[in-house]
Amino acid sequence: MSFATALLENVLSIAEEKNAKQVTKIKIEIGDLLLINPEQLEFCFEAVSNGTIAEGAELNIEFVPPKIKCSVCGREYNEVVGVCECGGFVGVDGGKEMIIRKVEMVV
Amino acid sequence: MHKIEVDAEIDVLSLNKRYAKENREFFRRNNILAINIMGAIGSGKTLLIEKTIDSLNYYKIGAILGDVVCKADFERVSKHKVKAKAINTGKECHLDAHLIHHKIEDFDEVDILFIENVGNLICPVDFDLGEDVRVVMVSVTEGDDVIAKHPEIFRLADVIVINKVKLAEFVEADVDKMIRDAKNLNPKAKIIKMDLKENLGFDEWLKYLEGLYVSRCNREG
Ligand SMILES: Nc1nc2c(ncn2[C@@H]2O[C@H](COP(=O)(O)OP(=O)(O)OP(=O)(O)O)[C@@H](O)[C@H]2O)c(=O)[nH]1
Ligand SMILES: [Mg+2]
Ligand SMILES: [Zn+2]
Ligand SMILES: [Zn+2]
Repeated sequence: MSFATALLENVLSIAEEKNAKQVTKIKIEIGDLLLINPEQLEFCFEAVSNGTIAEGAELNIEFVPPKIKCSVCGREYNEVVGVCECGGFVGVDGGKEMIIRKVEMVV
Repeated sequence: MHKIEVDAEIDVLSLNKRYAKENREFFRRNNILAINIMGAIGSGKTLLIEKTIDSLNYYKIGAILGDVVCKADFERVSKHKVKAKAINTGKECHLDAHLIHHKIEDFDEVDILFIENVGNLICPVDFDLGEDVRVVMVSVTEGDDVIAKHPEIFRLADVIVINKVKLAEFVEADVDKMIRDAKNLNPKAKIIKMDLKENLGFDEWLKYLEGLYVSRCNREG
């Protein structure tokens, strides 16, 4: 539930700043590695936003992959691996953020 | 009345990050080694804390015990005559930096603070508490693919403890496979093969912990 709650708090503070009457759409970017199930997030958001001005807002979710790259040979991977075929350490960058990009509202 | 679209760039998790930073500063200021113990349900987290308290009695130890509803772990640890606090998370399946923030003030006197997270291998991953060390504990009874199935939490661990290894043969778990999986996901982590009931690997854990405490003090200057 906590991702939905944090999302709601942030959205409401943006909406209040603009004196919005209703929030209608929210565009968010979510890192793949947060392993969030979009349907579940939508469901939880619906539950926590009930009775607020964000009730009924549509979530527009875009998933963003992390950059996974060997620190020695530079080979890139599509999934998290610890060690590269060359024996180098494979670093992971990003993929863990949840960023609100746009909020559509009625003012 | 009309519709507007507001551009934003708001990190939803920034609040947790802010509290984690404050917690970390608190630990630094008070010279506390803070250890977040995560892991599967029933893997032995509380027992590890209890045994460590009894063995390192020349350190001042404190413990924060996260649990979904009850206070059983808190009661167990309190019997060892250390300062302990319980946090009930209710439906939340992890601790977060804000929950910890309200509890740590009372621990400014301790040398080592254990924070037992809620038994869960998924949700605690994304919530930095401001700890110095992340321990992830599993036991062979969860099945020998438990590490491979939860790559994220093991990737971010400083210490990976594989507990109850003496039960491996009874549950047909391949401990070597578990160690291989752990090494492959996280070549930098300290991996400890343990059995708390048989005292296996426990001294290695104590030594490692003391090493951390000492290097921590040196960093403090
Ligand atoms: N056989 C055996 N049992 C163990 C070992 N370590 C812990 N146990 C037992 O496993 C059970 C769970 O141990 P706890 O310390 O409560 O585990 P926990 O991870 O704190 O559990 P939760 O807080 O409920 O997630 C207890 O009955 C322990 O006595 C071990 O190395 N071998
Ligand atoms: Mg416990
Ligand atoms: Zn490589
Ligand atoms: Zn969860």
